Amino acid sequence: MLNYVKLEATRMLRNKRYIIFVVAFPVGFYLLYSNLWGSQVDEATGVEASVILMVSMAAYGALAASIMSTAVPWSQERQSGWLRQLQITPLPSWMIIATKMISALLLVLPALLLVVLAAVITQHVSLTPGEWATLIPVMWVGTIPFAALGLIIGSLVPPDTAQPLAIIGMFGLALLGGLWFPVDMLPQVMRTIAHALPSYDYASIGWEIVAGHTPPGPAVAGILGWAVVLCGLAIYAYRRATVRA
Amino acid sequence: MNAIALTDVSKSYGEILAVDGLNLTMEPGRTVALLGPNGAGKSTTINMLLGLIRPTAGRIQVFGRTPDEAVARGDIGAMLQEGTLIPELTVRELVDFIRRLYPDPLPLDHVLQMADLTDLSSRRTDKLSGGQTQRVRFALAIAGAPRLLVLDEPTAAMDVESRRAFWGSMRSYAARGHTVLFATHYLEEADENSDRVIVVAGGRVVADGTAAEIKAGVGGSSVGFSLGGQSSACLDALPGVTGVEILSGAVTLRTTDVDATVEALYRKTTLDVRNLQIHGADLEDAFLALTQPAEA
Repeated sequence: MLNYVKLEATRMLRNKRYIIFVVAFPVGFYLLYSNLWGSQVDEATGVEASVILMVSMAAYGALAASIMSTAVPWSQERQSGWLRQLQITPLPSWMIIATKMISALLLVLPALLLVVLAAVITQHVSLTPGEWATLIPVMWVGTIPFAALGLIIGSLVPPDTAQPLAIIGMFGLALLGGLWFPVDMLPQVMRTIAHALPSYDYASIGWEIVAGHTPPGPAVAGILGWAVVLCGLAIYAYRRATVRA
Repeated sequence: MNAIALTDVSKSYGEILAVDGLNLTMEPGRTVALLGPNGAGKSTTINMLLGLIRPTAGRIQVFGRTPDEAVARGDIGAMLQEGTLIPELTVRELVDFIRRLYPDPLPLDHVLQMADLTDLSSRRTDKLSGGQTQRVRFALAIAGAPRLLVLDEPTAAMDVESRRAFWGSMRSYAARGHTVLFATHYLEEADENSDRVIVVAGGRVVADGTAAEIKAGVGGSSVGFSLGGQSSACLDALPGVTGVEILSGAVTLRTTDVDATVEALYRKTTLDVRNLQIHGADLEDAFLALTQPAEA
Protein backbone atom coordinates (compact mmCIF):
# COMPACT_ATOMS: atom_id res chain seq x y z
CA MET A 1 0.00 0.00 0.00
CA LEU A 2 2.90 2.34 0.79
CA ASN A 3 4.18 1.47 -2.65
CA TYR A 4 0.86 2.51 -4.16
CA VAL A 5 0.65 5.76 -2.18
CA LYS A 6 4.15 6.61 -3.35
CA LEU A 7 3.19 5.96 -6.96
CA GLU A 8 0.13 8.21 -6.71
CA ALA A 9 2.08 11.02 -5.06
CA THR A 10 4.89 10.81 -7.63
CA ARG A 11 2.55 11.04 -10.54
CA MET A 12 0.54 13.98 -9.22
CA LEU A 13 3.67 15.97 -8.37
CA ARG A 14 4.60 15.60 -12.05
CA ASN A 15 1.15 16.67 -13.21
CA LYS A 16 1.07 20.23 -14.60
CA ARG A 17 -2.60 20.77 -13.79
CA TYR A 18 -1.99 19.84 -10.18
CA ILE A 19 1.01 22.13 -9.88
CA ILE A 20 -0.75 25.11 -11.47
CA PHE A 21 -4.14 24.93 -9.76
CA VAL A 22 -2.97 23.63 -6.50
CA VAL A 23 0.41 25.04 -5.78
CA ALA A 24 0.91 28.12 -7.96
CA PHE A 25 -2.61 29.61 -7.74
CA PRO A 26 -3.09 29.83 -3.98
CA VAL A 27 0.43 31.03 -3.28
CA GLY A 28 0.26 33.55 -6.14
CA PHE A 29 -3.07 34.98 -5.02
CA TYR A 30 -1.94 35.10 -1.44
CA LEU A 31 1.08 37.19 -2.42
CA LEU A 32 -1.07 39.48 -4.55
CA TYR A 33 -3.89 40.02 -2.04
CA SER A 34 -1.72 40.29 1.01
CA ASN A 35 0.32 42.99 -0.71
CA LEU A 36 -2.85 44.88 -1.53
CA TRP A 37 -4.79 44.57 1.72
CA GLY A 38 -2.54 42.59 4.07
CA SER A 39 -2.19 45.30 6.68
CA GLN A 40 -5.92 46.00 7.07
CA VAL A 41 -7.33 44.90 10.38
CA ASP A 42 -10.66 43.13 10.79
CA GLU A 43 -12.72 45.23 13.19
CA ALA A 44 -14.65 42.42 14.79
CA THR A 45 -11.71 40.20 15.69
CA GLY A 46 -8.68 42.47 15.50
CA VAL A 47 -6.94 40.01 13.20
CA GLU A 48 -4.83 41.32 10.32
CA ALA A 49 -6.01 40.58 6.78
CA SER A 50 -2.70 38.92 6.00
CA VAL A 51 -3.59 36.23 8.53
CA ILE A 52 -7.18 35.81 7.35
CA LEU A 53 -6.00 35.65 3.76
CA MET A 54 -3.49 33.00 4.76
CA VAL A 55 -6.30 30.82 6.04
CA SER A 56 -8.49 31.54 3.01
CA MET A 57 -5.84 30.80 0.42
CA ALA A 58 -4.55 27.76 2.29
CA ALA A 59 -8.13 26.54 2.44
CA TYR A 60 -8.55 27.16 -1.28
CA GLY A 61 -5.27 25.37 -2.07
CA ALA A 62 -6.16 22.42 0.11
CA LEU A 63 -9.66 22.20 -1.35
CA ALA A 64 -8.31 22.41 -4.90
CA ALA A 65 -5.65 19.79 -4.19
CA SER A 66 -8.12 17.34 -2.73
CA ILE A 67 -10.56 17.63 -5.64
CA MET A 68 -8.04 17.93 -8.45
CA SER A 69 -5.96 14.95 -7.34
CA THR A 70 -9.03 12.72 -7.21
CA ALA A 71 -11.83 13.46 -9.69
CA VAL A 72 -10.16 13.59 -13.11
CA PRO A 73 -7.28 11.14 -12.52
CA TRP A 74 -9.64 8.58 -11.04
CA SER A 75 -12.16 8.96 -13.85
CA GLN A 76 -9.38 8.60 -16.42
CA GLU A 77 -8.06 5.49 -14.74
CA ARG A 78 -11.47 3.89 -14.85
CA GLN A 79 -11.92 4.65 -18.52
CA SER A 80 -8.39 3.94 -19.71
CA GLY A 81 -8.30 0.41 -18.34
CA TRP A 82 -5.79 1.13 -15.60
CA LEU A 83 -8.39 0.18 -13.00
CA ARG A 84 -8.82 -3.19 -14.74
CA GLN A 85 -5.07 -3.64 -14.74
CA LEU A 86 -5.12 -3.14 -10.97
CA GLN A 87 -8.14 -5.42 -10.51
CA ILE A 88 -6.25 -8.37 -11.98
CA THR A 89 -3.37 -7.98 -9.55
CA PRO A 90 -3.46 -9.19 -5.94
CA LEU A 91 -4.19 -5.62 -4.77
CA PRO A 92 -7.49 -5.79 -2.84
CA SER A 93 -10.27 -3.60 -4.19
CA TRP A 94 -10.81 -1.62 -0.97
CA MET A 95 -7.15 -0.69 -0.98
CA ILE A 96 -7.53 1.16 -4.27
CA ILE A 97 -9.99 3.69 -2.88
CA ALA A 98 -8.25 3.86 0.49
CA THR A 99 -5.02 4.70 -1.30
CA LYS A 100 -6.75 7.34 -3.39
CA MET A 101 -7.99 8.99 -0.20
CA ILE A 102 -4.63 8.83 1.58
CA SER A 103 -2.78 10.12 -1.48
CA ALA A 104 -5.23 12.99 -1.85
CA LEU A 105 -4.60 13.96 1.78
CA LEU A 106 -0.85 13.82 1.24
CA LEU A 107 -1.15 16.01 -1.84
CA VAL A 108 -3.05 18.61 0.18
CA LEU A 109 0.00 19.24 2.33
CA PRO A 110 2.17 21.10 -0.24
CA ALA A 111 -0.69 23.46 -1.07
CA LEU A 112 -1.45 24.11 2.57
CA LEU A 113 2.10 24.48 3.77
CA LEU A 114 3.33 26.65 0.89
CA VAL A 115 0.67 29.28 1.54
CA VAL A 116 1.52 29.25 5.24
CA LEU A 117 5.19 29.52 4.39
CA ALA A 118 4.54 32.42 2.02
CA ALA A 119 2.54 34.15 4.77
CA VAL A 120 5.25 33.68 7.35
CA ILE A 121 8.05 34.81 5.06
CA THR A 122 6.47 37.72 3.21
CA GLN A 123 3.94 39.04 5.74
CA HIS A 124 5.69 37.90 8.92
CA VAL A 125 2.52 36.24 10.10
CA SER A 126 2.99 34.81 13.54
CA LEU A 127 0.65 32.68 15.60
CA THR A 128 1.16 31.08 18.98
CA PRO A 129 2.59 27.53 18.86
CA GLY A 130 -0.78 26.30 20.12
CA GLU A 131 -2.60 28.03 17.27
CA TRP A 132 -0.24 26.59 14.65
CA ALA A 133 -0.55 23.14 16.18
CA THR A 134 -4.34 23.32 15.92
CA LEU A 135 -4.65 25.17 12.61
CA ILE A 136 -2.45 22.97 10.40
CA PRO A 137 -3.81 19.53 11.43
CA VAL A 138 -7.41 20.76 11.39
CA MET A 139 -7.05 22.30 7.95
CA TRP A 140 -5.39 19.14 6.75
CA VAL A 141 -7.90 16.60 8.03
CA GLY A 142 -10.74 18.96 7.12
CA THR A 143 -10.16 18.24 3.42
CA ILE A 144 -11.54 14.69 3.75
CA PRO A 145 -15.04 15.68 2.55
CA PHE A 146 -13.57 17.37 -0.54
CA ALA A 147 -11.39 14.42 -1.45
CA ALA A 148 -14.47 12.22 -1.07
CA LEU A 149 -16.40 14.57 -3.36
CA GLY A 150 -13.63 14.26 -5.95
CA LEU A 151 -13.77 10.48 -5.74
CA ILE A 152 -17.54 10.53 -6.16
CA ILE A 153 -17.19 12.61 -9.33
CA GLY A 154 -14.43 10.30 -10.59
CA SER A 155 -16.48 7.17 -9.92
CA LEU A 156 -19.68 8.38 -11.52
CA VAL A 157 -18.78 10.23 -14.71
CA PRO A 158 -16.33 9.92 -17.61
CA PRO A 159 -13.24 12.18 -17.75
CA ASP A 160 -14.82 14.65 -20.20
CA THR A 161 -17.53 15.40 -17.66
CA ALA A 162 -15.35 14.98 -14.58
CA GLN A 163 -13.07 17.80 -15.67
CA PRO A 164 -15.68 20.59 -15.77
CA LEU A 165 -17.51 19.15 -12.74
CA ALA A 166 -14.31 19.17 -10.70
CA ILE A 167 -13.53 22.74 -11.70
CA ILE A 168 -17.09 23.93 -11.03
CA GLY A 169 -17.06 22.08 -7.72
CA MET A 170 -13.73 23.52 -6.76
CA PHE A 171 -14.49 27.17 -7.64
CA GLY A 172 -18.10 26.92 -6.52
CA LEU A 173 -17.11 25.68 -3.09
CA ALA A 174 -14.31 28.21 -2.87
CA LEU A 175 -16.44 31.20 -3.90
CA LEU A 176 -19.57 30.33 -1.95
CA GLY A 177 -17.53 29.17 1.00
CA GLY A 178 -16.13 32.69 1.34
CA LEU A 179 -12.56 31.82 0.47
CA TRP A 180 -12.26 34.55 -2.19
CA PHE A 181 -14.39 37.24 -0.58
CA PRO A 182 -16.47 37.39 2.62
CA VAL A 183 -19.77 35.54 2.47
CA ASP A 184 -21.47 38.60 4.00
CA MET A 185 -21.07 40.34 0.63
CA LEU A 186 -23.44 37.82 -0.96
CA PRO A 187 -27.24 38.24 -1.26
CA GLN A 188 -29.29 36.60 1.48
CA VAL A 189 -30.26 33.48 -0.46
CA MET A 190 -26.70 32.80 -1.53
CA ARG A 191 -25.53 33.41 1.99
CA THR A 192 -27.89 30.74 3.32
CA ILE A 193 -26.56 28.28 0.76
CA ALA A 194 -22.99 29.28 1.55
CA HIS A 195 -23.44 28.64 5.26
CA ALA A 196 -24.55 25.08 4.55
CA LEU A 197 -21.47 24.25 2.48
CA PRO A 198 -18.55 22.25 3.84
CA SER A 199 -16.08 24.80 2.47
CA TYR A 200 -17.62 27.53 4.62
CA ASP A 201 -17.46 25.33 7.72
CA TYR A 202 -13.92 24.37 6.80
CA ALA A 203 -12.64 27.92 6.36
CA SER A 204 -14.51 29.34 9.33
CA ILE A 205 -12.86 26.82 11.62
CA GLY A 206 -9.53 28.19 10.35
CA TRP A 207 -10.57 31.83 10.79
CA GLU A 208 -11.75 31.20 14.32
CA ILE A 209 -8.50 29.50 15.25
CA VAL A 210 -6.38 32.42 14.03
CA ALA A 211 -8.68 34.81 15.90
CA GLY A 212 -7.69 32.96 19.06
CA HIS A 213 -11.04 31.17 19.51
CA THR A 214 -11.75 27.49 19.80
CA PRO A 215 -13.26 26.05 16.63
CA PRO A 216 -17.03 26.72 16.62
CA GLY A 217 -19.23 23.73 17.36
CA PRO A 218 -21.69 24.09 14.46
CA ALA A 219 -18.84 24.34 11.93
CA VAL A 220 -17.10 21.26 13.35
CA ALA A 221 -20.41 19.37 13.37
CA GLY A 222 -21.08 20.60 9.84
CA ILE A 223 -17.81 19.38 8.43
CA LEU A 224 -18.03 16.06 10.27
CA GLY A 225 -21.52 15.56 8.86
CA TRP A 226 -20.34 16.34 5.36
CA ALA A 227 -17.38 14.01 5.82
CA VAL A 228 -19.60 11.12 6.85
CA VAL A 229 -22.14 11.70 4.06
CA LEU A 230 -19.59 12.25 1.29
CA CYS A 231 -17.35 9.34 2.36
CA GLY A 232 -20.40 7.10 2.43
CA LEU A 233 -21.39 8.23 -1.04
CA ALA A 234 -17.81 7.84 -2.25
CA ILE A 235 -17.75 4.22 -1.11
CA TYR A 236 -21.14 3.59 -2.70
CA ALA A 237 -20.05 5.21 -5.99
CA TYR A 238 -16.80 3.28 -5.95
CA ARG A 239 -18.64 -0.02 -5.46
CA ARG A 240 -20.96 0.89 -8.31
CA ALA A 241 -18.02 1.77 -10.55
CA THR A 242 -16.13 -1.45 -9.82
CA VAL A 243 -19.04 -3.87 -9.78
CA ARG A 244 -18.30 -7.08 -11.65
CA ALA A 245 -21.31 -7.79 -13.79
CA MET B 1 -5.00 -30.30 -11.42
CA ASN B 2 -5.96 -28.24 -14.44
CA ALA B 3 -4.68 -24.72 -14.90
CA ILE B 4 -8.09 -23.76 -16.20
CA ALA B 5 -11.41 -25.58 -16.04
CA LEU B 6 -14.61 -24.13 -17.43
CA THR B 7 -17.75 -26.15 -16.87
CA ASP B 8 -20.95 -25.27 -18.77
CA VAL B 9 -20.07 -21.59 -18.66
CA SER B 10 -22.54 -19.16 -20.17
CA LYS B 11 -22.68 -15.41 -20.25
CA SER B 12 -25.50 -13.37 -21.63
CA TYR B 13 -25.88 -9.64 -21.98
CA GLY B 14 -29.62 -9.17 -22.04
CA GLU B 15 -30.83 -11.09 -25.07
CA ILE B 16 -27.36 -11.65 -26.48
CA LEU B 17 -25.63 -14.88 -25.56
CA ALA B 18 -21.90 -14.11 -25.71
CA VAL B 19 -20.73 -17.44 -24.30
CA ASP B 20 -22.97 -20.47 -24.69
CA GLY B 21 -22.28 -23.47 -22.47
CA LEU B 22 -18.51 -23.47 -22.86
CA ASN B 23 -16.60 -26.47 -21.59
CA LEU B 24 -12.84 -26.57 -21.66
CA THR B 25 -9.89 -27.63 -19.58
CA MET B 26 -6.27 -26.73 -19.93
CA GLU B 27 -3.29 -28.47 -18.37
CA PRO B 28 -0.55 -26.46 -16.68
CA GLY B 29 2.58 -25.68 -18.70
CA ARG B 30 0.86 -25.53 -22.07
CA THR B 31 0.56 -22.63 -24.47
CA VAL B 32 -2.95 -22.54 -25.80
CA ALA B 33 -4.49 -20.27 -28.41
CA LEU B 34 -8.10 -19.24 -28.23
CA LEU B 35 -8.88 -18.65 -31.87
CA GLY B 36 -12.07 -17.11 -33.14
CA PRO B 37 -13.56 -14.33 -35.22
CA ASN B 38 -14.60 -11.03 -33.65
CA GLY B 39 -17.63 -11.55 -31.45
CA ALA B 40 -16.87 -15.24 -30.88
CA GLY B 41 -16.83 -14.76 -27.11
CA LYS B 42 -13.05 -14.81 -26.65
CA SER B 43 -12.79 -11.61 -24.64
CA THR B 44 -15.85 -12.45 -22.58
CA THR B 45 -14.31 -15.83 -21.73
CA ILE B 46 -11.02 -14.21 -20.79
CA ASN B 47 -12.66 -11.54 -18.66
CA MET B 48 -14.58 -14.25 -16.82
CA LEU B 49 -11.35 -16.17 -16.21
CA LEU B 50 -9.88 -13.05 -14.66
CA GLY B 51 -12.91 -12.43 -12.46
CA LEU B 52 -13.63 -9.13 -14.20
CA ILE B 53 -17.05 -10.33 -15.24
CA ARG B 54 -19.25 -13.00 -13.73
CA PRO B 55 -20.67 -15.91 -15.70
CA THR B 56 -24.45 -16.08 -15.94
CA ALA B 57 -24.20 -19.84 -15.38
CA GLY B 58 -21.54 -22.49 -14.93
CA ARG B 59 -18.33 -22.82 -12.97
CA ILE B 60 -14.84 -21.46 -13.60
CA GLN B 61 -11.72 -22.67 -11.84
CA VAL B 62 -8.15 -21.46 -12.14
CA PHE B 63 -5.65 -23.81 -10.49
CA GLY B 64 -8.56 -25.31 -8.55
CA ARG B 65 -9.76 -21.97 -7.17
CA THR B 66 -12.25 -19.30 -8.14
CA PRO B 67 -10.87 -16.60 -10.44
CA ASP B 68 -11.03 -14.04 -7.61
CA GLU B 69 -8.98 -16.26 -5.32
CA ALA B 70 -6.45 -16.99 -8.05
CA VAL B 71 -6.10 -13.27 -8.77
CA ALA B 72 -5.70 -12.48 -5.06
CA ARG B 73 -2.94 -15.10 -4.78
CA GLY B 74 -1.07 -13.59 -7.72
CA ASP B 75 -1.53 -16.68 -9.89
CA ILE B 76 -2.74 -14.72 -12.91
CA GLY B 77 -1.14 -12.02 -15.01
CA ALA B 78 -2.94 -10.58 -17.99
CA MET B 79 -2.66 -8.25 -20.90
CA LEU B 80 -6.14 -7.02 -21.70
CA GLN B 81 -7.25 -5.68 -25.05
CA GLU B 82 -7.35 -2.09 -24.00
CA GLY B 83 -5.49 -0.21 -21.41
CA THR B 84 -3.40 2.88 -21.37
CA LEU B 85 -0.70 3.53 -18.87
CA ILE B 86 -0.22 6.29 -16.31
CA PRO B 87 1.34 9.09 -18.38
CA GLU B 88 3.36 10.76 -15.64
CA LEU B 89 5.34 7.64 -14.76
CA THR B 90 8.36 6.00 -16.31
CA VAL B 91 8.39 2.44 -17.62
CA ARG B 92 10.56 1.31 -14.74
CA GLU B 93 8.36 2.92 -12.07
CA LEU B 94 5.21 1.42 -13.51
CA VAL B 95 6.57 -2.10 -13.96
CA ASP B 96 8.14 -2.06 -10.52
CA PHE B 97 4.88 -0.91 -8.96
CA ILE B 98 2.86 -3.76 -10.45
CA ARG B 99 5.66 -6.22 -9.70
CA ARG B 100 5.59 -5.39 -6.02
CA LEU B 101 1.89 -6.18 -5.76
CA TYR B 102 2.68 -9.87 -6.30
CA PRO B 103 3.98 -12.18 -3.57
CA ASP B 104 6.82 -13.71 -5.54
CA PRO B 105 7.68 -11.52 -8.53
CA LEU B 106 10.45 -11.72 -11.11
CA PRO B 107 13.47 -9.45 -10.63
CA LEU B 108 12.78 -6.05 -12.20
CA ASP B 109 15.73 -6.12 -14.58
CA HIS B 110 14.66 -9.53 -15.72
CA VAL B 111 11.15 -8.36 -16.55
CA LEU B 112 12.47 -5.36 -18.47
CA GLN B 113 14.84 -7.59 -20.37
CA MET B 114 12.20 -10.16 -21.27
CA ALA B 115 9.89 -7.45 -22.58
CA ASP B 116 12.81 -5.78 -24.38
CA LEU B 117 12.38 -2.58 -22.40
CA THR B 118 15.80 -2.20 -20.81
CA ASP B 119 16.70 0.75 -23.05
CA LEU B 120 13.33 2.42 -22.50
CA SER B 121 13.11 1.94 -18.76
CA SER B 122 13.53 5.60 -17.82
CA ARG B 123 11.14 6.91 -20.44
CA ARG B 124 7.72 8.33 -19.52
CA THR B 125 4.96 6.05 -20.72
CA ASP B 126 3.27 8.82 -22.73
CA LYS B 127 6.42 9.09 -24.87
CA LEU B 128 6.18 5.52 -26.18
CA SER B 129 5.06 4.25 -29.58
CA GLY B 130 2.13 1.87 -29.89
CA GLY B 131 4.35 -1.20 -30.10
CA GLN B 132 6.44 -0.05 -27.15
CA THR B 133 3.30 0.51 -25.09
CA GLN B 134 2.23 -3.05 -25.82
CA ARG B 135 5.61 -4.27 -24.59
CA VAL B 136 5.12 -2.38 -21.34
CA ARG B 137 1.69 -3.96 -20.98
CA PHE B 138 3.29 -7.34 -21.56
CA ALA B 139 5.88 -6.51 -18.89
CA LEU B 140 3.06 -5.63 -16.46
CA ALA B 141 1.44 -9.00 -17.20
CA ILE B 142 4.57 -11.06 -16.47
CA ALA B 143 6.05 -8.86 -13.72
CA GLY B 144 4.49 -10.86 -10.90
CA ALA B 145 5.70 -14.19 -12.34
CA PRO B 146 2.11 -15.46 -12.60
CA ARG B 147 1.60 -19.19 -13.17
CA LEU B 148 -1.04 -18.36 -15.77
CA LEU B 149 -0.40 -15.66 -18.33
CA VAL B 150 -3.46 -14.49 -20.27
CA LEU B 151 -3.12 -12.34 -23.38
CA ASP B 152 -6.17 -10.93 -25.17
CA GLU B 153 -5.27 -10.17 -28.80
CA PRO B 154 -1.87 -8.89 -27.74
CA THR B 155 -0.50 -8.02 -31.17
CA ALA B 156 -3.51 -6.07 -32.41
CA ALA B 157 -1.63 -2.75 -32.56
CA MET B 158 1.75 -4.07 -33.69
CA ASP B 159 3.65 -4.07 -36.97
CA VAL B 160 5.23 -7.25 -38.34
CA GLU B 161 8.61 -6.72 -36.70
CA SER B 162 7.08 -6.00 -33.28
CA ARG B 163 4.86 -9.06 -33.59
CA ARG B 164 7.80 -11.34 -34.17
CA ALA B 165 9.68 -9.91 -31.21
CA PHE B 166 6.57 -10.09 -29.07
CA TRP B 167 5.95 -13.77 -29.70
CA GLY B 168 9.61 -14.41 -28.95
CA SER B 169 9.13 -12.81 -25.52
CA MET B 170 5.97 -14.80 -24.94
CA ARG B 171 7.69 -18.09 -25.80
CA SER B 172 10.57 -17.37 -23.47
CA TYR B 173 8.09 -16.80 -20.65
CA ALA B 174 6.22 -20.00 -21.51
CA ALA B 175 9.51 -21.89 -21.66
CA ARG B 176 9.96 -21.32 -17.93
CA GLY B 177 7.09 -23.72 -17.32
CA HIS B 178 4.32 -21.15 -17.19
CA THR B 179 0.89 -21.67 -18.65
CA VAL B 180 -0.11 -19.26 -21.39
CA LEU B 181 -3.53 -18.65 -22.89
CA PHE B 182 -3.82 -16.13 -25.69
CA ALA B 183 -6.74 -15.00 -27.80
CA THR B 184 -6.28 -14.13 -31.43
CA HIS B 185 -8.19 -13.98 -34.67
CA TYR B 186 -5.09 -14.70 -36.74
CA LEU B 187 -4.72 -18.36 -37.65
CA GLU B 188 -1.01 -17.87 -38.36
CA GLU B 189 -0.38 -16.57 -34.85
CA ALA B 190 -2.23 -19.46 -33.27
CA ASP B 191 -0.38 -21.87 -35.52
CA GLU B 192 3.12 -20.57 -34.85
CA ASN B 193 2.91 -19.86 -31.16
CA SER B 194 0.77 -22.47 -29.47
CA ASP B 195 0.79 -26.18 -28.94
CA ARG B 196 -2.97 -26.36 -28.83
CA VAL B 197 -5.65 -24.33 -30.55
CA ILE B 198 -9.19 -23.99 -29.28
CA VAL B 199 -11.47 -22.53 -31.91
CA VAL B 200 -14.51 -20.71 -30.63
CA ALA B 201 -17.41 -19.34 -32.62
CA GLY B 202 -20.77 -18.13 -31.43
CA GLY B 203 -19.71 -18.64 -27.82
CA ARG B 204 -18.98 -22.36 -28.22
CA VAL B 205 -15.91 -24.51 -28.82
CA VAL B 206 -16.06 -25.67 -32.43
CA ALA B 207 -12.63 -27.28 -32.74
CA ASP B 208 -9.85 -28.24 -30.37
CA GLY B 209 -6.44 -29.70 -31.21
CA THR B 210 -3.06 -28.84 -32.64
CA ALA B 211 -2.98 -26.21 -35.36
CA ALA B 212 -2.17 -28.89 -37.95
CA GLU B 213 -5.12 -31.02 -36.88
CA ILE B 214 -7.48 -28.09 -37.14
CA LYS B 215 -6.26 -27.07 -40.56
CA ALA B 216 -6.48 -30.67 -41.69
CA GLY B 217 -10.05 -30.76 -40.47
CA VAL B 218 -10.81 -27.68 -42.51
CA GLY B 219 -9.06 -29.06 -45.60
CA GLY B 220 -8.14 -25.59 -46.71
CA SER B 221 -4.38 -26.01 -47.24
CA SER B 222 -2.89 -26.10 -50.67
CA VAL B 223 0.36 -27.16 -52.31
CA GLY B 224 1.37 -25.50 -55.54
CA PHE B 225 4.24 -26.02 -58.01
CA SER B 226 5.23 -25.63 -61.66
CA LEU B 227 4.42 -28.73 -63.64
CA GLY B 228 5.62 -27.53 -67.02
CA GLY B 229 4.93 -30.13 -69.67
CA GLN B 230 4.92 -33.14 -67.30
CA SER B 231 1.98 -35.50 -66.88
CA SER B 232 -0.55 -34.73 -64.14
CA ALA B 233 -1.95 -38.27 -64.14
CA CYS B 234 -1.06 -39.42 -60.62
CA LEU B 235 -1.62 -36.17 -58.70
CA ASP B 236 -5.16 -36.84 -57.48
CA ALA B 237 -4.01 -40.16 -56.00
CA LEU B 238 -1.52 -38.52 -53.64
CA PRO B 239 -2.34 -38.85 -49.92
CA GLY B 240 -4.52 -36.08 -48.52
CA VAL B 241 -5.33 -34.52 -51.85
CA THR B 242 -8.94 -33.51 -52.28
CA GLY B 243 -8.67 -31.52 -55.48
CA VAL B 244 -6.33 -30.73 -58.37
CA GLU B 245 -6.29 -27.56 -60.44
CA ILE B 246 -3.95 -26.98 -63.36
CA LEU B 247 -3.65 -23.58 -64.95
CA SER B 248 -1.09 -23.01 -67.74
CA GLY B 249 1.42 -25.44 -66.28
CA ALA B 250 0.93 -24.42 -62.59
CA VAL B 251 -0.62 -27.03 -60.31
CA THR B 252 -2.58 -26.32 -57.13
CA LEU B 253 -3.36 -29.32 -54.94
CA ARG B 254 -6.03 -28.95 -52.22
CA THR B 255 -5.00 -31.15 -49.34
CA THR B 256 -6.03 -32.13 -45.83
CA ASP B 257 -2.47 -33.20 -44.94
CA VAL B 258 0.26 -30.99 -46.36
CA ASP B 259 3.11 -33.07 -44.91
CA ALA B 260 1.91 -36.35 -46.39
CA THR B 261 1.14 -34.78 -49.76
CA VAL B 262 4.53 -33.11 -50.10
CA GLU B 263 6.41 -36.18 -48.93
CA ALA B 264 4.62 -38.36 -51.47
CA LEU B 265 5.13 -35.77 -54.17
CA TYR B 266 8.89 -36.08 -53.83
CA ARG B 267 9.26 -39.74 -52.92
CA LYS B 268 6.52 -41.51 -54.79
CA THR B 269 6.43 -39.63 -58.07
CA THR B 270 9.16 -39.06 -60.60
CA LEU B 271 8.02 -35.51 -61.23
CA ASP B 272 10.51 -32.69 -61.36
CA VAL B 273 8.86 -30.37 -58.79
CA ARG B 274 9.78 -26.68 -59.14
CA ASN B 275 8.65 -23.55 -57.31
CA LEU B 276 6.95 -25.48 -54.51
CA GLN B 277 4.56 -23.27 -52.52
CA ILE B 278 2.46 -24.17 -49.51
CA HIS B 279 -0.50 -22.09 -48.37
CA GLY B 280 -2.16 -22.61 -45.03
CA ALA B 281 -5.86 -22.76 -44.59
CA ASP B 282 -7.44 -19.42 -45.25
CA LEU B 283 -8.90 -17.97 -42.10
CA GLU B 284 -12.26 -17.19 -43.55
CA ASP B 285 -12.54 -20.64 -45.11
CA ALA B 286 -11.56 -22.17 -41.80
CA PHE B 287 -14.25 -20.37 -39.89
CA LEU B 288 -16.89 -20.97 -42.46
CA ALA B 289 -16.04 -24.64 -42.41
CA LEU B 290 -15.93 -24.81 -38.64
CA THR B 291 -18.92 -22.72 -37.76
CA GLN B 292 -21.40 -24.01 -40.31
CA PRO B 293 -21.80 -27.52 -38.83
CA ALA B 294 -22.22 -25.95 -35.39
CA GLU B 295 -25.10 -23.84 -36.61
CA ALA B 296 -26.76 -26.61 -38.59
